[in-house]
Amino acid sequence: MDFQWSLVWSSVPTLLEGALLTLQLTTIAVAIGIVLGTIFGIMRLSSTPLRYLAVAYIDFIRGTPLLVQIFIIYYGMPSLIKQPVPPYIAAVIALSINSGAYVAEIVRAGIQSIEKGQTEAALSLGLSKTAAMTHIILPQAFKRIVPPLGNEFIALLKDSSLVSAIALEELVRKAQIVSGRTFRPFEVWFVVAIMYLIMTVTISQIVRILEKRLRVGE
Amino acid sequence: MAILEVFDLHKQFKDLKVLKGITTSIEQGEVVVIIGPSGSGKSTFLRCLNFLEVPTSGEIRFEGNRITPDNLNMVRREMGMVFQRFNLFPHKSVLDNITLAPKLVRKVDSDTAVQQAYELLQKVGLRDKAHAYPDQLSGGQQQRVAIARALAMRPKVMLFDEPTSALDPEMIGEVLDVMKDLAREGMTMIVVTHEMGFAREVGDRVIFIDDGQLVEENAPDELFNNPQHPRTQSFLSKIL
Repeated sequence: MDFQWSLVWSSVPTLLEGALLTLQLTTIAVAIGIVLGTIFGIMRLSSTPLRYLAVAYIDFIRGTPLLVQIFIIYYGMPSLIKQPVPPYIAAVIALSINSGAYVAEIVRAGIQSIEKGQTEAALSLGLSKTAAMTHIILPQAFKRIVPPLGNEFIALLKDSSLVSAIALEELVRKAQIVSGRTFRPFEVWFVVAIMYLIMTVTISQIVRILEKRLRVGE
Repeated sequence: MAILEVFDLHKQFKDLKVLKGITTSIEQGEVVVIIGPSGSGKSTFLRCLNFLEVPTSGEIRFEGNRITPDNLNMVRREMGMVFQRFNLFPHKSVLDNITLAPKLVRKVDSDTAVQQAYELLQKVGLRDKAHAYPDQLSGGQQQRVAIARALAMRPKVMLFDEPTSALDPEMIGEVLDVMKDLAREGMTMIVVTHEMGFAREVGDRVIFIDDGQLVEENAPDELFNNPQHPRTQSFLSKIL
């Protein structure tokens, strides 16, 4: 066993660029995912036919591989809209839609975890159903779903490596390039793993701090 | 004039008939106490009055107007409700709990709402707790805040759903005292409770509900001392 770290050391800046893109993609996708997830999570609980639309979306996304979803957007969508979709855009769309479905289930569970009495108290004061949801239910639900949202962020950060398949130079794609150039796959992929680990551990720490701060008044 | 009129109210949960045709009316300023065995439908009856439970059939009129899903929010702001489990909003301070609905629903400006909240807190003896959060308060204090929160909407009727049932015995008195004050000020109140002393002291009328039916109603002394119906007699003999 001989490790040749010097070769790998020189490629760290390249890998860091990839890591930065990974982080950026994931952050944007989770942010959009939270918006989508809130909308579809509420729709999922509504008594209107909108519910079935939400169920279809959530089941389709959760029941199919993310890689296939990425390919549908990257290879499939251009034939529909008659123009190519840049890899970055395709990645953001695919990851956001994917994240939205998982967040929808998290939001649904969060809303359902709030006692019925909270809605009843709000309605009895004359608040509309919408006002009860936005002022009373959602603020409490979001506090409770911070930990699962953190997990979703971490899961998506790892899954975002799949967009390397459409030649987007995030961390894994960069590693493939570096590894091919240096012929030191073990060292390169080991460094990549450490970089992912640093990112995920940092995120879970941030989530833990956030969770503590939000516990005021509970 | 009757402020609330109930005609042939039925409520069914799946196969379970909880209310089997209740008709009564409540006068302005009246304090009506509803008693009955657990599972008799008395809480369901109360919850139907502001449509937290939607009646299966029958009609409820508030100030002469039939309550429908369309005018429901208008009616609800005129009817305060106090729950067994308080249902304060845990993510909001006491002050915010009280000012939320007046600001949001009645569009009262913030300063007025806050000033009014302090007056109500004074009234329930908790002025110094304005900035506390609900979980920092005892059960009795939470329930008094809940009463202040309902009063902040300046309701014409107050509904109480077993307001002291979830309280430790030593805290029941402080909540009942607030309710007695309210009754003396002329508030129209409908109270589901097991506190027979309260019924005797401030009730104008007691309604006995059993098995989803209004079995008997009368002035408290009359109903407690001289119940007419065998079911009322049997129930009272167990609790008095």
